[in-house]
This record gives sequence, structure tokens and C-alpha cells, in this order.
Amino acid sequence: MKTRLIALALAAVLAGTLHASTADAEARLRTAVNEVLVAAQRSTTSRELPDRIGPILLRNISFETMTRRAVGPGWRGFTDDQKRQAIKLFGSLIVRTYCDKITPGEFPDIKFKPAATPAPGRVEVPTRLTYQGSTYAVTYRLEEDDGWKITDVMIEGVSMVANYRTQFDAIFKKNGPGGILGALEKQETKKR
Amino acid sequence: MKKILFLLLAGTLFTGCASTRRGPESGAAVGGTKGSATAADGKAIVSKDDDLNEYAASTIADPLEPVNRATFWFNHQLYTFLLRPVSKTYETIIPKPLRKGIYNVFDNAEFPVRFVNDLLQGKVDRAGQETGKFAVNSVLGVGGLFKQSDKFPALAHVPKGSTGQTFAKWGIDHGCYIVLPVIGPSSVRDTVGLAGDYVLNPILWIGMAWGIPAWTIPVSAADTLCVLPEKFEQYDAATKTSLDRYLSLRSSYAQYRKEAAKK
Repeated sequence: MKTRLIALALAAVLAGTLHASTADAEARLRTAVNEVLVAAQRSTTSRELPDRIGPILLRNISFETMTRRAVGPGWRGFTDDQKRQAIKLFGSLIVRTYCDKITPGEFPDIKFKPAATPAPGRVEVPTRLTYQGSTYAVTYRLEEDDGWKITDVMIEGVSMVANYRTQFDAIFKKNGPGGILGALEKQETKKR
Repeated sequence: MKKILFLLLAGTLFTGCASTRRGPESGAAVGGTKGSATAADGKAIVSKDDDLNEYAASTIADPLEPVNRATFWFNHQLYTFLLRPVSKTYETIIPKPLRKGIYNVFDNAEFPVRFVNDLLQGKVDRAGQETGKFAVNSVLGVGGLFKQSDKFPALAHVPKGSTGQTFAKWGIDHGCYIVLPVIGPSSVRDTVGLAGDYVLNPILWIGMAWGIPAWTIPVSAADTLCVLPEKFEQYDAATKTSLDRYLSLRSSYAQYRKEAAKK
């Protein structure tokens, strides 16, 4: 009987900590999303979006994790310098991709749904974004590594990282790390 | 009793591991087990590479890639020089509420496509929701012009059934990726599915029933026109910040269909 009680008590504690960490991740996401919305609302042109939103994303997204996974096993063939370069360029691409989906001055309605915990240290928060009469399912994946960070965004089931993974894979097979950096640089110059 | 003890022990061991992995205070330990160089310098770029296969590179077979790329190129020119200007003109001439209304009318009229496919997938509840939506929008929404059903929580956000989705539910595989002329990304399964959707679309029946099959041409054209702005939005979302437009759209398509089949 005693052990049962202990088991129950332990389970309760465990559920508490699990819940707390999921709540941390959710809180982190809510704050980040709110900051982005406020920044978007204060902006008047799309041009200033990356400057306003970039720093917020930098604090909340793990660009390193996203870059590593988007490149895949080929990452091992990158030198440290190439890795740094890739993270910088891909990070900037993520910021632009993200800003591209935002209209300055607009305020979309975002509803947070209950989070899922697919694995320890990993939380997925589904949201429903309503914008100009259309509704999109946007799911954020957060992972804990020195605080909670966003590691992927899935819009209508389409993962940002998986999408770039397909593209990077083909480029890597043809031209290795240099090819990936070259393609990212080309994208970067295209923006202006 | 022993069993419980064992479970308890196993449980604590497991959660012990889990919490060291989770706990922010044990960051160093985590770094250690992963062989990462997360140290004081904060440059943790390097040696963490146990998750490199987290995402699969491709989720759809594409043996026809050279042909598909050619069709894709053709479509891109068609979009850029013909369809996008048409879509832009449509957006400028017709105000947004009216566009939404036209879209709603077609969407409502295509009720049989969703209803029949929901039934074929054994989703009786959803078929019921679709019927409710159709009734509400046809009557309260004046022939579907106003989407009144969204005001009823039970009828809002009902995932759309399609023939391609039915095939997926039946366990039929995608088959390979096909880029259709004009329409764009598809697969063998979804191409056959499109034919199914077409047959289930009342726009076709009415033309047949009235003995004027040509009627379907202008109506289908209008049906296409009213979804163009939305389609271009999706196309741009997948291609604008891509490194390889073709691959980006293919990956988006495969992932989107996979997700839709789950609903």
C-alpha cells in the first residue's frame, strides 16, 4: 500500500514537472509570437520587417539546429567556418521566409491549442491562425537546449526544415558544402 | 507488489534520464553525453550531429523528374505571363467580399465531392457535418454566397474530403510525383482522384442535364478564376524564398497531402 502511495506521489510530481516544462515552452512561444505581432503592427513597410522581427527570431529560434537538420548528414563534411557561414545565411533566409508571410500593420488572430509532448524535451504547439478571412494551421516545434527554442514551424503540415532538407540534399549531392553556401548566398543577393 | 516496485524503479530511472536531458541546469551533462562542445565560449556549432537524419530528404518518388521539371518550367511561364496577370486583374476588378462570395458559391456547390468521399472513407459524422453546412449555407447563406456555417462551432473548420484522400485512406500509395500541365503538382493517385472529383462535381451534371455540355466551360473557368489568387499565394509561399523552386514545391506538395490524408 505504502509503495502504491509513493508511486502515486511520484507520478504526481512527475506529471507536475512535465506539465511545468510544457508550460514553459508554451509561455516562451506566446511571448515570442506576441512580440512578433507587435513588431509587425508597428511596421509600415515590408522593408523594415526583417530589422524589427529578426532580433526577436534570433532570440527564440535555434537557427543552428534548423540549419544542421536541413542540411542532414552532409553537415559532417562542413568545416567549422562553413558551418558558421551556413548558419548565418540560413538564419537570414528563415527570417526572410518568416517576414514574407507577414503584412505590416495587420493583426492576425492566433489561437493556441493544447500542446503535445512527442518526446522528452520536445513540445509541439498547434495554433490556428486566421488572417484576412483565411485560416491556417500553424504548428510550432520547440526543443529544450539551454532554454526553449523554436526548431521548426509547420504550416498546414508543411515543415520548413523538411522543405529545405529536400533542396539542400540535392545541392549537396551535386556540389557539396560549397554548393549549399553558394545557393544560400545567391538567395541572399536576390532579396534586394 | 513486486511488479509495482519494479515499475516504480524503472519509472524513476527513466524519468531520471529524461529530467537530466530536460533540466536546464544540467546543460553541461547533456552536452557531455552528446559529445558537444557547448562550453563557455557558447559556440556550440560543432560536434552535435546525432539528429542529422531527423528529416527525410524526400517523401515522394520522382522518377519522371526531367519531364516534370520541363512541365514545371512551362507552367511557371504560363503563370507569370498569363494566369498571374489574369488573377491580378480579377482581384482589382472584383472587390474582396464579392470574390469571397463567388468562391463560397462554388465551394458550396461542390458539396457532393466532399460528402461522397467522406462516406467512402467511412467518416459518417463528417458527411453529416457537410450536409449541415450545405443546408445552412444554401438557405441562410443565400445559395452559398455567405458562409454562414462558420458561425456554428460544430460546422466550422471541417476538413475537406477529396477523392485523392479517399484513395490514400484505402491504402493506395501516392505513386510517383507528376507535374500536370497548368494544374501543377500532383501524383498518380491524386491525378486519378482529380477525375473522381470532377465526376462528382455538380457543375458537370448540370451541363449534362440541360443537354448543353458546353455550359461547363465558362462555369469551370469562373470556378478556376476565383481560386487563382489563393493558389498563387500558396505557390509563392513555396517558391519565393526557395533555393530550388521545383524541389521546394514538390516537398510542400508531398507533406501537405500526407497531412491531409491524416485528417
